[in-house]
Amino acid sequence: MFSKVSEKAHPFSSQALPTVIHIKATCILSYVVGMSNSRKWGNVSSKKPSKGKVVQIYESFFKGEDPSVGNEHFWHEFFLLKPSVSKLESELAKLNGEQLTQLKDNLNLICVQCIDILEDSSQIRIAVALQTLCTILKAITRKAASESNLDIVNILVGHDSSKKYIPLLFERCSSILSSNPNSEIKNLALRLILALATGSENLSQNTILEYSMNYTSQVLFEALVYILQDPDTRLALGQFVIQLLTLFVNFSKYEGTNPFVVQLSILDIELALIGYSQVITNHLADFCWQYTTQNADTHAGGWFSSLTNMVGSMFVSDEGSCRNQQLKNHNAILLALYEAVHLNRNFITNLVQTQADTSSPPSPTATLENIRASAESNQAPSQIHLMVNPASQPTSLLATFIEYCSIVTQDTKPDTLFNNGKLCLLILTCISEDQYANSLMHDPNLVYKVQLHRSPMRHRKIPSDPSLPAQPLACAMLDFVVEFITSHKMKRFPMELYLLSIGIAQRLVCYQKRCRVRLSYQWPELWKSLIALLRFLLSHEGTLAKKMNIFQLALQVVNIFNLFITYGDTFLPSPTSYDELYYEMIRMHQVFNNLHAMALRYSSIEGEFKEWAQKLANSLVNVRAITSHFVPKINTWLTDQGLSTPSEDQILEVVRCNYDSLMLKLQDNLDHYERYSESPQHESFFYTMVQTVISDINQNIDFTPEESVQKVFQDFASVS
Amino acid sequence: MSSEGNPPIVASCEQGPASDALPNVHGRTCPTRRGPNSHQRNLSLDFRPMKISLPPVAQVTAGTTVAALAATTQHHRHRSLDLDLHRIPEVDVTPSPEVGQPENCLFFRLMSKTTLQQCSKAKLLPMAKSSKLKEDITSLGSDDSGICGSDSSAETRPKGSEETIATEEVKSEPEEEQPKEVVIKQTVETAAAEPAAKENCVPKKDNLLRFMESSMFQAPLAISYLFTTKEIGVQTYIANKLFTFPEQEVDFYLPQLISMYIHIPELATLIFPYLKQRCIKSAEFSLQVVWLLKSYSSDAHLTSKKKSDGTKLKTLILSDKLRPRSFHDREVVKHPLTAPSPNKKAHQRSQSDASALIVGQASAEAAENSSTCLGDLRSGRAFNTGCTCFNTHRGMVNNLKGRQTSCICSAPRLEGEVQFVDKLLAIGHLLPEVSGGKEAQAIRLRAEIDQINLNLPARVWLPIHSSSIPHHVLHISTAFSAVLNSKDKAPFILYVEVLEVDNIETSPVPQKMLNALRSTKSEENLLTNERPSPSNTSQNLATMLHSNSMGMLYPYDNDDCWTQEDDEISQQYVNKMKTDRDTISQISLESSDSRDMMVAAGDIRRRLSSAFSDPRTLARRRDPEDPSANVLSEPWMDKVQRIRDSSPYGRLANWRLLSVIIKCGDDLRQEMLAAQMLEMLQNTWKDEKLALRLRPYKIVCLSADSGFIEPVLNSVSLHQIKKQHQMSLLEYFHANFGPPNSEEFLEAQQNFVASCAAYCVVCYLLQVKDRHNGNILLDDKGHLIHIDFGFILSTSPRNLGFETSPFKLTQEFVDVMGGEESDMFRYFKLLILQGLLAARKHMDNLLILVEIMRSGSQLPCFKSGAATVQALKNRFHLTLTEEKLERLVDKMVCNSLDSLSTNLYDRYQYITNGIL
Repeated sequence: MFSKVSEKAHPFSSQALPTVIHIKATCILSYVVGMSNSRKWGNVSSKKPSKGKVVQIYESFFKGEDPSVGNEHFWHEFFLLKPSVSKLESELAKLNGEQLTQLKDNLNLICVQCIDILEDSSQIRIAVALQTLCTILKAITRKAASESNLDIVNILVGHDSSKKYIPLLFERCSSILSSNPNSEIKNLALRLILALATGSENLSQNTILEYSMNYTSQVLFEALVYILQDPDTRLALGQFVIQLLTLFVNFSKYEGTNPFVVQLSILDIELALIGYSQVITNHLADFCWQYTTQNADTHAGGWFSSLTNMVGSMFVSDEGSCRNQQLKNHNAILLALYEAVHLNRNFITNLVQTQADTSSPPSPTATLENIRASAESNQAPSQIHLMVNPASQPTSLLATFIEYCSIVTQDTKPDTLFNNGKLCLLILTCISEDQYANSLMHDPNLVYKVQLHRSPMRHRKIPSDPSLPAQPLACAMLDFVVEFITSHKMKRFPMELYLLSIGIAQRLVCYQKRCRVRLSYQWPELWKSLIALLRFLLSHEGTLAKKMNIFQLALQVVNIFNLFITYGDTFLPSPTSYDELYYEMIRMHQVFNNLHAMALRYSSIEGEFKEWAQKLANSLVNVRAITSHFVPKINTWLTDQGLSTPSEDQILEVVRCNYDSLMLKLQDNLDHYERYSESPQHESFFYTMVQTVISDINQNIDFTPEESVQKVFQDFASVS
Repeated sequence: MSSEGNPPIVASCEQGPASDALPNVHGRTCPTRRGPNSHQRNLSLDFRPMKISLPPVAQVTAGTTVAALAATTQHHRHRSLDLDLHRIPEVDVTPSPEVGQPENCLFFRLMSKTTLQQCSKAKLLPMAKSSKLKEDITSLGSDDSGICGSDSSAETRPKGSEETIATEEVKSEPEEEQPKEVVIKQTVETAAAEPAAKENCVPKKDNLLRFMESSMFQAPLAISYLFTTKEIGVQTYIANKLFTFPEQEVDFYLPQLISMYIHIPELATLIFPYLKQRCIKSAEFSLQVVWLLKSYSSDAHLTSKKKSDGTKLKTLILSDKLRPRSFHDREVVKHPLTAPSPNKKAHQRSQSDASALIVGQASAEAAENSSTCLGDLRSGRAFNTGCTCFNTHRGMVNNLKGRQTSCICSAPRLEGEVQFVDKLLAIGHLLPEVSGGKEAQAIRLRAEIDQINLNLPARVWLPIHSSSIPHHVLHISTAFSAVLNSKDKAPFILYVEVLEVDNIETSPVPQKMLNALRSTKSEENLLTNERPSPSNTSQNLATMLHSNSMGMLYPYDNDDCWTQEDDEISQQYVNKMKTDRDTISQISLESSDSRDMMVAAGDIRRRLSSAFSDPRTLARRRDPEDPSANVLSEPWMDKVQRIRDSSPYGRLANWRLLSVIIKCGDDLRQEMLAAQMLEMLQNTWKDEKLALRLRPYKIVCLSADSGFIEPVLNSVSLHQIKKQHQMSLLEYFHANFGPPNSEEFLEAQQNFVASCAAYCVVCYLLQVKDRHNGNILLDDKGHLIHIDFGFILSTSPRNLGFETSPFKLTQEFVDVMGGEESDMFRYFKLLILQGLLAARKHMDNLLILVEIMRSGSQLPCFKSGAATVQALKNRFHLTLTEEKLERLVDKMVCNSLDSLSTNLYDRYQYITNGIL
């Protein structure tokens, strides 16, 4: 095949131009002008324009004819004609499954020719081939979605040669990605691969992808990674690459070995990893920025505008659904982040790698272009830097991600948002479980300003403090958890999310205990919110306990307290913070007493939660010891002093004086938690997530962007 | 010997009648004529500057210069070819191996310029030909002088070849031939005598010559004479003598040399060969020169259209034409010799063409590589000049054999480092514009450093340390970089991991390493900071091997990819080995039957508070107002250990941690001058075996308003001591070093006195002002160290007239010494006296530093002009006897101690800048 192509190329480029080409549309002519000689001009202009030559060729193909017969140069000319995507699509759409199968030979012919020509030296031919292939592929897969018995591979290249051509297609696309200098062609090739990957709504049923899971996987993976490495292509095409990697990694990953999982897990090219994280960061940062500016608008207007907004939103609930849609689009990005964090250990460093040139809106690309322009013109480097807006805050992936989480978890009622929030929390869980990530998050020198967004609630004002303190990321993460705990105590209790978010706090505390890190954090915030959560569980016990295991959650909360009580000396940030812990527990001792009572109640009766209730009752031993030790002492002290409303300091003093008579029980395994594992617990969740990603890509991505082809024609027609 | 093989190929046709007068240009039979021959390179190179200084060449009626020049240009090409032919190791003007006695050839040069009349008496060309020759000079001279070749000859040549020619020319050096000593000696003697007698400024010329030849005549004297003498013969002699001094000694005076180069055109031509030779030898030196030129030539009057000497030299160096000659080029140069052409120009052309052909491919590739990425931080290769020599077989073989690889692909030699320094400075310029306080600046700094790190390791170095520790930069520690306190500027400190290498240019750059996460991530390794366990290394090795083999396995298996279980397994493995976890609670955790283990709440509380009694943990607290304090207060060795442990490069044997302060927007030239004087004084006192101790720190000026400063390690400012510890200096001494009579305290006190006395002398002599407590440091041995010499000699802050006392000596200092009646205090005064006496003895060395820098420079410390130097001289009190000086010291100490203005100034600083 290869040799054939090169043989053909020669006669064409020489004078042996066939006269078969009847080009009607002058615009097409102008593209080909570089290729044709002046003699052609006369020929063409004499013909009167009708429908395009391409369209004629399409039509004859779909009639079952083969116009290439007897014309050895046919294909070379065909691939110089600008494809008519709409015509091709409509022709294919007209056919039903049966007819398609009948036309199989002709379609095979076109596709195989397309694959062959991908190695051509002419950029125009490559672009046309990619576009044509993509159009046919998309049209057939669309058909296949409705007619389930349609065999896509068979129609594309035929069963017999599929083993040869589909891997060949992947290989050639890969080599375009890694060696073609033209970014538009790269763009087209990426879209073609994306079309291949999203050919079926159900990823595991995508037979085409199976062909990529062999030796081609490495070439393909490297090509994709290469795009991420190059700072320029990363910006334009990074998102496709990320989506593709996510899809490939998720392809039947529970069923067998997936080479992409392995490749991604051992990827250690720093530039590629940075590219990967930068694509994600840019995406999330854009969203956060949009959200912030929108919010700023509504807040700025005062109560009147918020009223009108409310009224307005009653009629047009666009905004919400629009946001839903937007968030759905994030699934691919979030999944990509998840896979990277979950699989690749080298990626962890990038979580806190500060990125100076993230797209800081309003004009991310503009500044980048500035940089590039000045880099090219060899200006003084100081000037390059000055062009970066000094006001824009550099940020890191993790900081941006936490901010993003604070936005998406504000509302967890719709399913899409719930899933989104769950994915976010899963990612945070993975991060908080990682030793190295923890060491970075707890580094007092690596501080960031993380803007957490809080939903307005009846009983609290949103503190709008523009001068955020810069703090280690662990603080921001804890802040986020506290915020989540505080703001989701609702009737439709999102138990799963609560378990995850409290699990995150638990993991952080466990790390601090193990590594003796004293994070300067306002722990009372966490204690208060946890106690408030317990109180909420108690007061809604009636409804909640029927539906879900509130004991597990309560146990988790109590265990966090136990960690502080028994190991506080190893990680609390100041001596007085231990006193404050006791103060909070004593202040809210009623809650713990009630919790204990409830746990006893459930453990005495048979039921599905009996065991959990027993565990919970046991875990409360130290807390109860503390409250029963101090509460009477404080009461007697109060009566001695004749005080009714003691100040916090006074109570703390009493606490300090009475430590020594208190003995605490050492509990086992406080710093042990169940390690996160994706399979089998979350398999179905990720399955649905991947599915939404695919449908999302199918809906939102134009696989056959005409402007790209147009651009290739413009760029290369004159050069020839 | 070299000319024997070659017939004279000098373009005699061009010379026309002149050639009659010069029958024996190559004169191997006539040794006396060797003089002009051997020095000609020198002259031809200097030709341009000379022409500028003496515009009407024809009017130099003496004709000697012209004659010399003519001779030069005629012979030049030929000679360099000879050299190439014989592949004589390249030394510019330094004695080549064959020369043996360097001085002889140096004398040649000396003679050539000054006393050409003598040698040439009737032998050289008649005056009548001089006008004719002038044409030749202008046409040929431009070709020959590497310095200006590109200026005038560019138009006449095809662009492509021009560069090669220029490069080649610089490489091809004149060859020094074995001179006939006897004859030379004679000529030299007369040569030295002649001009002296004429100008009458050095009456006893023989003595002078003998003096200069003596071993006494070292770099300091040479610089001094170079500057003071107006006699061109002496100047030439000294300029040549420079080659014989140890490089380090000359390097000390580099700022002075450069300053003279810029401001004294006559000297520029003389110093140039030396600078050139050093530049060719070392890229590091080249850049030092460039930066100094940048720093000092900005003052130069920009009225003249022509570029100044300084700018020219800068462009020449930056154009990278001063490169060491490589094997490659020698081979290339051979080509033209196969067909020597009588025509000079044609000859050159063919040569350049040939070299272009051969070098062409490699260099084109390198150029393409580097041009696309060089300076683009996002590319990951911003400092990679595209040199491929180390990746070739030759490079690898050399590496294995332990030989040095020199770069032969013509990748730019300096550009990587230039970019690196530029990027660092760019950060310095960017930071002050970052709004949002110190925290925001720190975040931005980290972001920029991360960007730079992406491009490291590379063949780049920190100029401030490169002379003492040649190194390649591996990584800049992000977490430890910090923005320093400054009101409107934002200087910052960087901690840089480097690899010490034998030679910056010829050692291979280490490969990039990612954090070895597999080994560092699990808990046991995170704890190694505190307890390094021997098992670690073996385990790391195992994991590393494991990960390596994984990359090679072909049919991938999911088992091979990392899972969380790995962590758990390794953790269990480690838990077994780890028995020394400290707290009771943890031990009890591990003993499984802890059912009924009880622990007292009081114990937990007590352990918690005892953890905070350690002052070191307290000092480590973050202060959002002053984020840098946290980084700076950590003892240096601790920091080195911590960074080394966490760095993937930490296992390299030659790993080093260096630190540097980068300052933009501040003129560091005065600091540099002060640093020189401090070093000079320090050396003087050391030589005199005095106890006085200074701590000079290195300064590298990169331009008139930016530079690198060497941080003083393990030190805190008095301001911070007062702020953080809320105690007096004496109390701090006790807290840190022990009770009054402990050995540690006494040693610290001794150090304090020795350093305080030293700085008192410095402050008095240099009139160092702005002595608030933020500018005075105390190190971990008790030494007092002054920093910030922004106000010296004749300037003081806003000239408020505060700080009228001779030096800063507060009651607190005296308390540390043990009070005014103590022995230590008397010892302190004695030290000051000794210090002054010793300094007075070597006053000239100090004065010359200042005087040279004063000439032509507009530094604020020379505001009072020549009076500045005079005032400085007066402060040495040459006229006072020792007794009188002692009384003076007493008086000064008294004055300083009682000084109202010191207190006032401290108060003023507290009010305006919050400095305690």
